[in-house]
Amino acid sequence: MTKDTPAAVGSPPPPSRAATFGARAWAVSLWPFVAGVALAAFLYFTLPSAIGPYYLRIVVDVGIAMVLAVSLNIVSGMTGQFSIGHAGFMALGGYTAGMITYYGSILCWGTASRHGGFLGVGDWLFVVACVVGGLVAAAAGYMVGLPSLRLRGDYLAIVTLGFGEILRVVLQQTNKVMEDAAAVRASTLSDWIPPPVGGAVGFDGLPKYTNLFWVGVFVTMTVVMAYRLKQSSMGRAMLAVREDEIAAQAMGVDIAKTKVRAFVLAALFAGMAGGLFAHEPGLIISPKDAGFQRSFEYLIMTVLGGRGSISGVMLAAAILTALPEFLRDFEQYRLIVYAFLLIIMMLLRPQGLFGIHEIWQIWPRRAGANPKTEAVAR
Amino acid sequence: MKSNQVPSQDVASGASTAPLLFAEDLWLSFGGLKAVQNFTLGLPRGALYGLIGPNGAGKTTVFNLLTGVYRPDSGRIVLDSQELVGRQPHEIAAAGIARTFQNIRLFPDLTVLDNVRLAGQLRASQRLGGILLRTGRQREEEATICRRAFALLELFDLQDRADTLATNLSYGHQRHLEIVRALATEPKVLLLDEPAAGLNSREKQELAGSIRRIRAQFQLAVLLIDHDMNLVMEICERIAVLDHGVMIARGTPAEIQHDPKVIAAYLGCSEPLN
Amino acid sequence: MADFVQTLITTLEVGSLYALIALGYTMVYGILKFINFAHSDVVVLGAWISFTLASWILPAIGLDPHNPATPPPFWVGGVILVGSMVACGVVGYFIERLAYRPLRNAPRLNVLITAIGVSLLLQNIGQLDFVFGPSPQKMPALLPKWDVISFSLSGHGGVHAISIGVVDVILFMTSAVLMIGLEYLVFRTKLGTAMRAVSFSPTTAALMGIPVDRVVSFTFVLGSALAAAAGFLYAMKYPGLNQPAHTIWVLLGLKAFVAAVIGGIGNVRGAVVGGFVIAFVEQFGAFYISSNYRDVYVFALLILILLVLPNGLLGSPVRDKV
Repeated sequence: MTKDTPAAVGSPPPPSRAATFGARAWAVSLWPFVAGVALAAFLYFTLPSAIGPYYLRIVVDVGIAMVLAVSLNIVSGMTGQFSIGHAGFMALGGYTAGMITYYGSILCWGTASRHGGFLGVGDWLFVVACVVGGLVAAAAGYMVGLPSLRLRGDYLAIVTLGFGEILRVVLQQTNKVMEDAAAVRASTLSDWIPPPVGGAVGFDGLPKYTNLFWVGVFVTMTVVMAYRLKQSSMGRAMLAVREDEIAAQAMGVDIAKTKVRAFVLAALFAGMAGGLFAHEPGLIISPKDAGFQRSFEYLIMTVLGGRGSISGVMLAAAILTALPEFLRDFEQYRLIVYAFLLIIMMLLRPQGLFGIHEIWQIWPRRAGANPKTEAVAR
Repeated sequence: MKSNQVPSQDVASGASTAPLLFAEDLWLSFGGLKAVQNFTLGLPRGALYGLIGPNGAGKTTVFNLLTGVYRPDSGRIVLDSQELVGRQPHEIAAAGIARTFQNIRLFPDLTVLDNVRLAGQLRASQRLGGILLRTGRQREEEATICRRAFALLELFDLQDRADTLATNLSYGHQRHLEIVRALATEPKVLLLDEPAAGLNSREKQELAGSIRRIRAQFQLAVLLIDHDMNLVMEICERIAVLDHGVMIARGTPAEIQHDPKVIAAYLGCSEPLN
Repeated sequence: MADFVQTLITTLEVGSLYALIALGYTMVYGILKFINFAHSDVVVLGAWISFTLASWILPAIGLDPHNPATPPPFWVGGVILVGSMVACGVVGYFIERLAYRPLRNAPRLNVLITAIGVSLLLQNIGQLDFVFGPSPQKMPALLPKWDVISFSLSGHGGVHAISIGVVDVILFMTSAVLMIGLEYLVFRTKLGTAMRAVSFSPTTAALMGIPVDRVVSFTFVLGSALAAAAGFLYAMKYPGLNQPAHTIWVLLGLKAFVAAVIGGIGNVRGAVVGGFVIAFVEQFGAFYISSNYRDVYVFALLILILLVLPNGLLGSPVRDKV
């Protein structure tokens, strides 16, 4: 930034060098993450005894759903690329992470059960596994994003749907899980290709590392990053691609790069959430978790919450994950209600409950507020 | 101009500067329909030229060719000695050609400010890491983009509407916003596609003044399409006339007004215009 | 050799079914420029309505639907087919009227989401206890199990008997009649010309005096009727009827949609061609490579075609107007 940029009348002076690069800058950069991790730790130690295992499970499910809904929002809500294969990225990440923790545990410690306590070695293996799962999913996101360059809305929907369904079929044809170290030592190449992740039955026996703390950490990471993305030039570019591709191009936006980026980022977070999902106590990840029906669950969260609203989508994720638990008796009507909800939303309020705004942005303006200083300060 | 190089004679003033934007021998067909035939135009630095013609003559198609939306079947487009044919539209925008659209193409659900910031970020570069970690550099760049956006909004007195959704602006303001947004990309050449459409005569007068001011303030070359003959004749230094994809005349406003081919194209008879 | 012939026969049958379903997708896309996600659910509806009608009619004429010792008279099948087509036509009409018409000018993404909603609605209402129920049922045999043609061919591990039964013949003939009828309708009648005009440009067609809304409704009804016929024929051939929300139906519809795209979406003849192409790839792939991945072949073909020939085999390019 040059010193001779003409500053507009009445605008605040450019920040000093220290504020830009010094310790204060690091504080600004990292405080949301620190706060989130601290809150997650606090909840981890206090909440379980307060609310009991049944509600704890719901809270964990809500957290995972939030990560998935917010990540889907990046590609569908913000960039307008209709993706109904999001669960495929989740499943890919989950299975990858599972393979790492399961077979990694066997290789390191001889068994596939949980190792070490809170923030112990096992926990870190788990985190690494989730991140690797995310990266693998991101690579898949790149490949799925490529057709999006050529295909418009409807076709892209079919291709993404096909991705999820193909993954489901492929996962069903996988080898069965090896039970212990002896089985691994005795295994041959054909036991490993296709990967031994359980086939149609699902990947059973994973060490269950997912807890409130890690869910909180990943939720924090995803939400903070998604929010910062939205407020940045990249986020604006994504929104522009959604609004009008031709105009966006004319204003210098590389729409191909933007679309692929959106897919990759969305897939990255979804893959990490998949790791959380696979290691959740009481849950076995199975091929159907890659399919259309699961993708649909996240789709409706983004439709309801608002295309582009991170907090709106989080709220929708919470409601649509928790409510069915309390309305178990009406399970057979759940999808019917969702279906009606989708149709009515499209007829009456297609931008979702919150549209592009965050929940805190819907309060009316204070009279006399100056949009300029507010915008620069934001 | 049938040479193989960019000519070095400025058509308007006779000074020896190469045109900033030079389109040579452009041809474009859609199936059997010849949309643009043998189109050649030189736009010097700082010039304000007009492109007119009856409806369907291919004027917007020429704009689309110049901005890379369509690729010509043959011909060259050179901006400041860079070849533009075959480049992607966003690369051409980065090279320095900005445009407005005949049927306004603002980003309807984005605010006025965001519309302009989107264009302004072309000249800044935020990396993903910087964004996700909200580094000092990224915040600085955002502040710069914001400041520049407000400065441009003040040209048309839109700064107080910065938070309004583009779709909620009045028609006249939307037209102004389109121009502001194009300016935010810091172009060398500005293509205005019917900027006066739907404006009343007072607004058109103001627009004429604005275009002249902008041209001077930002040192742009401007190419203008419009159907309002008064506006075009008043502010354009030279005018090219298209009919059915073919350039049938070019020259000063006075020459165009009396050119029988032009009159015939518009009216089908040989009376002088206005 | 025997295997080849058997696979070929299955290809032709499955291809006819895919073609019938693909026609519905392609006609709706041609007219409204969007993918009717709910179309495959009309196929399911057709199959299950056929089942329901059969379970009413057969007892009424004194036959046990679960074990008809003698095959029912021929007209029973015809009545059920027509009944199913009419019922689904009506459903198609109401879907268009209530869910799609209000969104005629909305962004395509919104209509797509609505279509997904309609699809889910049909599936899950179908699974309710008081509708079709959440369990599979067996479709009663409506046709005699005779073989029309039967011959022996040498093949893998000895001599195999290849038979083409009444069911197969009826399937071919019904599909052929419907497809030929549609070809005639679309290309030789005024109504068909109106349909094609609307698919080319609704505004111009309206200016020419064509009642666009009615043509659109008719297209939906027609597509739904064809879907119902496909569902009925599917139930005839594969009597183990899965419950409405079963993935097998989703895949069936998806593959038929791929068929429509491969033939050139919006192109009626293309849908027929595409149906047989898909069936060929699926059946021969399943047989000669591996049947576990039969769905993958179809999708792989889709991706290939979309990247290489984005307008399908018989389609034509569409340019955006800037």
